[in-house]
Amino acid sequence: MTETATPRETPTRQAPSETGPSQRRAALLQWIAERGIFVFTALLIVFAAIFVDGFASTVNITDVFHRAAPIGIVAVGMTFVVISGNYLDLSVVAQVATSAVIFIGVSNLYGIPLAVGLAVLVALLYGAVNGVAVGYFKANAVIVTLATTYVGLGLLRWLSGGSIFFGPPDGPIRAMGQIRIGPLPLSMIVLIVMALVLAFVLNRTTFGFMVRCVGSNKEATRLAGVSTPRVVLGAFVITALAAMIAGFVLAAFSNTAVSTMSSGFEFRALAAIIIGGTSVFGGRGSILRTLLGVVFVSVLTNILVLSNISFGWQQIAIGALIAAAVSVDALARRAAQ
Amino acid sequence: MNRSTSEPAGPVVIEAESIVKRFGGAVAVNDVSISVRAGEIYGLVGENGAGKSTLMRILAGILRPDEGEVRVEGKALHGGAKAALEAGIALVHQELSLVPEMTGAENIMLGSFPTTAGFIRSADMKKIAADAIEEIGVQIDLDEPIVRLSVALRQFVEIARAVARKPKVLILDEPTATLTPAETDHLLAMLQRLAAKGLSIVYISHRIPEIFSICDRVAVLRDGNLIEMMDIGETTPDDLVDKMVGRDLKLDLQIHRESNPGDVVFSARGIHAPGVDGIDLDVRAGEIVGLGGLVGAGRTEFVRAALGVDPKTAGTVTVTTDGRSTKIATYRAAVRNGVAYIPEERRTDGLALNMSVADNIALPNRARLSTGSVLKPKMIAEFATNLADSVGLRPPDIRRDAGEYSGGNQQKVVIAKWLGREPRVIVLDEPTRGVDVGAKTEIHRLIRDLADRGAAVLVVSSDLPELLDLSDVVHVIRDGRIAGTLSGAEADEKSVMTLAAGGRLVEAS
Repeated sequence: MTETATPRETPTRQAPSETGPSQRRAALLQWIAERGIFVFTALLIVFAAIFVDGFASTVNITDVFHRAAPIGIVAVGMTFVVISGNYLDLSVVAQVATSAVIFIGVSNLYGIPLAVGLAVLVALLYGAVNGVAVGYFKANAVIVTLATTYVGLGLLRWLSGGSIFFGPPDGPIRAMGQIRIGPLPLSMIVLIVMALVLAFVLNRTTFGFMVRCVGSNKEATRLAGVSTPRVVLGAFVITALAAMIAGFVLAAFSNTAVSTMSSGFEFRALAAIIIGGTSVFGGRGSILRTLLGVVFVSVLTNILVLSNISFGWQQIAIGALIAAAVSVDALARRAAQ
Repeated sequence: MNRSTSEPAGPVVIEAESIVKRFGGAVAVNDVSISVRAGEIYGLVGENGAGKSTLMRILAGILRPDEGEVRVEGKALHGGAKAALEAGIALVHQELSLVPEMTGAENIMLGSFPTTAGFIRSADMKKIAADAIEEIGVQIDLDEPIVRLSVALRQFVEIARAVARKPKVLILDEPTATLTPAETDHLLAMLQRLAAKGLSIVYISHRIPEIFSICDRVAVLRDGNLIEMMDIGETTPDDLVDKMVGRDLKLDLQIHRESNPGDVVFSARGIHAPGVDGIDLDVRAGEIVGLGGLVGAGRTEFVRAALGVDPKTAGTVTVTTDGRSTKIATYRAAVRNGVAYIPEERRTDGLALNMSVADNIALPNRARLSTGSVLKPKMIAEFATNLADSVGLRPPDIRRDAGEYSGGNQQKVVIAKWLGREPRVIVLDEPTRGVDVGAKTEIHRLIRDLADRGAAVLVVSSDLPELLDLSDVVHVIRDGRIAGTLSGAEADEKSVMTLAAGGRLVEAS
């Protein structure tokens, strides 16, 4: 409401034609933010293949990705929440475990179709509670999903009695866990299919478009006539459905399920998303980036394991990478302004 | 430049000499000198954008002048807002700058808490705050958090905060904008009491009657220049408005569009909302209706409440298209029924700056650019290219991020995205603010084209020449109501300003 306090002429962002030192720095940051993960992932794989003993074998590589798949499935789903500008969904940790326990526990008693049906209902409930609280009631996503994590894990422990569920050793779930197409285990096939489907949803459907718009500028999107709460709700539902599928895959490959089996998934998925270069401020990011983030973190961890570097140092490396990725994102944004 | 010829009332307390301030290429304050004496109330008037607030921020050390200097009792002021405060200059901001969760006492003392070893001496704090409140003569419970106080009381707390610092100069920027007439009278009487005790007061207001009721001298700013400085006895309200507007009105030849208004398309009745106190308004097909008035008069608030962007407390809005009337309850219903809204703040509300022009244009048109909710990228590119061409986007590259364009081109993108929906009602709030002259002309052409094609157009503008140039009818809003309605032929800068500033319109002789 001031009159002349702000400059009358809105400054135009400079085209990067002039090259002073600050422009060069801005251009470099932009380049890292936009292309960094592609180049670094490729370099890391080449490096590992040449210098790390035991990396470049089919057995090792399929094992790496087989382990990474459930996290990857969670991460590609959660990418929707991050791009919508709502930081993350912590409760995926509860969602994956709940889905896995239902998948084995309920199918032991009532068969697979009923187990899957129940798991879908539970996933929709998670998505609805998180999405309504964050989208419609404008609550902070971190706090809301922290609450649903506690409640969800608490309910799961209480209802499951904390026990470990085993599928029958010759049952269909075990068989599912053994499926391979060529060298690819089922988990990786599921991840690839999920990534393709979700990339299509994000890039080519009106819903995905609105998710990107909401993350980029929520108020402008609202003023274009979009129900932004509904879009946020949709992002949480997609995340919940992906977490559910991750729970099935996780249960299938060990043929067991327990409430603690997904501990750390929420942060590992977020780490992959951020390292992939999806902006924590919302609006910018892609499913492919998240996949590359998963690959990068998994390959790096594998290199460290093969080189007998302790788990503590592996964690430090991941932490440093997250810090680097977030800094590049923030600095690139600032340089662009 | 005329100088006052009367004898000085007291010694000069604060003076600004040859102040120049530029923002980018634009000169906000151009070689302005003023001096204020002890015990004097010094009025400062001018249109929106004349440079008043900028000048005040310079006096208070918040902005650094590009040229010239500010002196307090002969000593040059250096070192920003803190130094100015220490030198005895207190500014009461146009926007309230209180911490809502803290109490009145805490807010009054914020930044100058009496402390011992880092702990606030609570009793002392309350005592000083209570003294300040007593000084300005209002009843406020200082232990209540600010959020529980009315807007008017918050304004008084803000003034108490300034007074508690025992300033030599008190600067008030539009302090009565949110006050009722009774509260305004109280405030004016209080300022006169303070001045009688020797305090120098700089009083900025759009409201001419207030200037005449308390000021000793008045300076007129226009386009950053000090036009004239007069003793209040040397001027009249009429004369002051003339000097604020400045252009020779008789020679202002306005070319009006041949307008041929059809049926009423947009109709608002009894709109109430915070800052809006019962506005009725119709816009016909093919007609451009302008909303004039001062910043803060309630124009933007009216538009946003009527369209459902912000909640309204009462009133109905009806949109009639193709003989069918629909009551509009929500903003999304408004959009569905052919309303387009181009907001005041284009960078925060109008565009997704880090998305492409094509994406921005596609957003409100997504339904027609997709089949079964799958987007058609080729169709989007073609659609966006056509619209970018029709609004004259330069360069016409729809894959660039919207944020890379200049203000004028960004506004063209905002207009383009709504053009695609062929709106029946289009509401534009400050359509050319921060836009260069060339783009401004093009945007005006687009607005006229829309009306010529039968849209009902409602324009809010603080840019008087623009408002007069575009509008077939001008409603002047003051204090949340329509203060007067002028046909395109009778509206001129003076009649609009007079209505806006609270004067009565006298028939021209």
